Amino acid sequence: MNHKWILLFLIMTSTVFISGCWSQKELNELAIISAMAIDKNAEGKYVKTIQLVNPGNVAGGLQGGGSGQSPTVTVYSATGDSVLEAHFHATSKISRRLYHAHANLIVISEELAKEEGITDILDAFERDPEIRMTSRVVIAHHTKAGDLLKSLTAIDKIPAEKVNGTLQATERARGESMEVTLQDVITTLTSAGKETVISGFSLKGDIQQGKKIENIQQSELDTTLESDGLAIFKEGKLVDWYQGEMSRGVVWILDKIQQTDVIVDSEEQKNSLTYNVVRQNTKVSADTKNRLPVITVNVRAEGDIREVRSQIDLTDPYEILDIEKN
Amino acid sequence: MFSFLKRKKQKNDRKIQELNNQNQTNKTLPNLIEKSLSKNLEVIKQKTGNSSDIVIRQLKICHNSKMKIAILYVKGMVDNQSVNDFVIESIINNQNLSEKLKPQDVLEVLTEDVVAVGGIKVVNDWEKLFTALMSGETITLIDGLSKGICASTQGGQRRSVQESTTNVSIRGSKEAFNESIETNTAMVRRIINNTDLWVESINIGKMTKTEVSIMYINGIAKNEIIEEVRKRLKGISIDGILESGYIEQLIEDQTNTTFPTIHHTERPDSVAGNLLEGKIAIFVNGTPFVLLVPALFIDFFQSVEDYYERFDISTAIRFLRTVIFLISLVGPAIYIAATTFHQEMIPTELAIIIAAQRESVPFPAFIEALIMEITFEILREASIRMPKAMGSTISIVGALVIGQAAIQAGIVSPGMVIVVSLTAIASFATPSYAVAITARLVRFIFMVGAATFGFYGIILVFILLIVHLCSLRSFGVPYMSPLAPFIREEAGDTIFRRPIWAYKKRPRLISGQNRVSQGENQKPQPPGTRVMKNTTNMEKGDQNES
Repeated sequence: MNHKWILLFLIMTSTVFISGCWSQKELNELAIISAMAIDKNAEGKYVKTIQLVNPGNVAGGLQGGGSGQSPTVTVYSATGDSVLEAHFHATSKISRRLYHAHANLIVISEELAKEEGITDILDAFERDPEIRMTSRVVIAHHTKAGDLLKSLTAIDKIPAEKVNGTLQATERARGESMEVTLQDVITTLTSAGKETVISGFSLKGDIQQGKKIENIQQSELDTTLESDGLAIFKEGKLVDWYQGEMSRGVVWILDKIQQTDVIVDSEEQKNSLTYNVVRQNTKVSADTKNRLPVITVNVRAEGDIREVRSQIDLTDPYEILDIEKN
Repeated sequence: MFSFLKRKKQKNDRKIQELNNQNQTNKTLPNLIEKSLSKNLEVIKQKTGNSSDIVIRQLKICHNSKMKIAILYVKGMVDNQSVNDFVIESIINNQNLSEKLKPQDVLEVLTEDVVAVGGIKVVNDWEKLFTALMSGETITLIDGLSKGICASTQGGQRRSVQESTTNVSIRGSKEAFNESIETNTAMVRRIINNTDLWVESINIGKMTKTEVSIMYINGIAKNEIIEEVRKRLKGISIDGILESGYIEQLIEDQTNTTFPTIHHTERPDSVAGNLLEGKIAIFVNGTPFVLLVPALFIDFFQSVEDYYERFDISTAIRFLRTVIFLISLVGPAIYIAATTFHQEMIPTELAIIIAAQRESVPFPAFIEALIMEITFEILREASIRMPKAMGSTISIVGALVIGQAAIQAGIVSPGMVIVVSLTAIASFATPSYAVAITARLVRFIFMVGAATFGFYGIILVFILLIVHLCSLRSFGVPYMSPLAPFIREEAGDTIFRRPIWAYKKRPRLISGQNRVSQGENQKPQPPGTRVMKNTTNMEKGDQNES
């Protein structure tokens, strides 16, 4: 009987200690990272920029209404020969433990993506157990990746949220950009026959202006962040940018259009009718004809006519058929 | 030093001697009642220490007789009207009593003709006589006869039957038990009009001689369990039983647990419902709380009202209760685990808000939760113990101190206040107070588990808790049944409440052989409206009526 109890006790206590890693960390001792960016400087070193949330300034109100007075985020940069080294150099500048689990955005610089490719950089992100595979990846277009994190934004208090929100909104409403997660990028990079497409983001205006709190204390922002095209990759390297109609075509072929608008010309007038696609289904099939590859894109779209600028009798079913042919 | 010890010893010796003397005087008392009235009265006076609340009234049986009788009762324990009208007055006015009668004849006339009270018994030994006297009966002693007549005239002031204060319900009978055991058993008998409702009484307590009754339905309750209850009650040897809690603690199966293994209630309809399931009720004189055995874990989450409402509503409410119990058990623990171990599980915006709130809090989340929980417990205890007139003071001070000042002072975060108050309210929403207290205690273990190992710790404590619950028995019945061991046909009355017409059988582990509780086809099958008009078809269609 006694042996039984000792054995039971040992089993119980061992379950406590063999459980693997756990660590206690108070929420207010963490530096919550909202976004990370990777650049390469002139010396060929990696520059890692991290955007930290200042919780007191985001939540505001309660602890004395600090919001509006000081920025909601603080940005730190550090250099290193590898991504991880840059990360560890950054810790010497920050008083708290860096916490990656709420980082929703990873920005990669355009140059880096063109010259070196993204495959090696993402390895560092993938191996970290704290970084979420669902965090979004964007490519900085016409700007440094780090600068994209430094600009303050108006409605979304945290710039990273603003970027993610914009991506989501444009994907839903126009279909010109795509929300691409770290998981998606790594899957497309590693699977044969698929190439990576990542949304671009650009900074409009002066970065020095965007860093200041005054930037968001006006009705029209001098410096803003905007969704800007799609970066097309080939074997992990950025090869081209698609903008506007072209990028929508990419999204359409990938069957990711949720809602978009199509302008239809009539015989008499250009831009006579705006058609709002609310549901669509795209099938891509490949075939060979005369030893040439033929790719058929079959789109079934369903939507509403939302704007008519010419004389069309919409009650006439034949007219509707005509419009559908156009 | 030594002399002090000696003196103490001497004192003790003297005490023992005194006790022995007392015992000797007790022993000198004769066992049987004597013939002489004056001697008898002397014995009574000596035995009761001439207590002033014992009334001795001496009468002649008729105006020209020398034969004396004495009437004794305890003031306040008897119903004055029945003593005056049906004992004293009817003796004085009775024509059949004459001087020619012998003492034995007087006894017969008195018992058969004169004393107009329901319960009459004749006793001839002192012990029975004193028990009767102390329980409020009126004793009549006749000169020249070594017997006494006990007339049951119990009465006096008791609290009237009032609404239940601890088991409140919206629908259903409003009356609750009071402190009188006769009233309490009668209230159940009024609900179950059946000769099979059996009551057994014993007196427990060497000094208090408290009346304890067990009530069960013969044929439904399991004989082994009845026998076990009898055995455990008879084994009790204690000075006094002041409340059914004494009995509960003396007969429960497992003492090393915080979980109650005996159920108690204040409601007659609840007792009746449980008796019909085959349970046994234990009534204790002087308390409105009636014990019910065997008790299962799920019993503590059910209220009688569940059966009065329709099943869909009751099922929804029972689900809610399960959630409530879980919140009151692990509410603060989950908050601690999530904010100190698993920040990644909190949505980003919420994590930032909580981080902002905690920015100025100097303590770790566990200490913060502990402070709040203890403060709340202090408030709760104070509001129960304080004089009612000061209740509002507590609520104002409590609300201000906990709600406002503690946050503004930066000692606790607003999120923690929400969690602790939600937990507090949840613990009050559990139907049984007994299990709510238990949850309150176990909550602290969960908090420690959460503070050391996060969610992993919560799960470890949870597993321990389940193992512990499954090891409990209440009068031999597994505490977690019908969930563990799982009994399919009874699981419908756990966190679900199946329709009344689907209760075909009584619980297997609780009731005896006779398990069928209702007839076939109890589901209402009303005929369609078109058929209703046709009377002949109606009789065919309505199976309940025929």
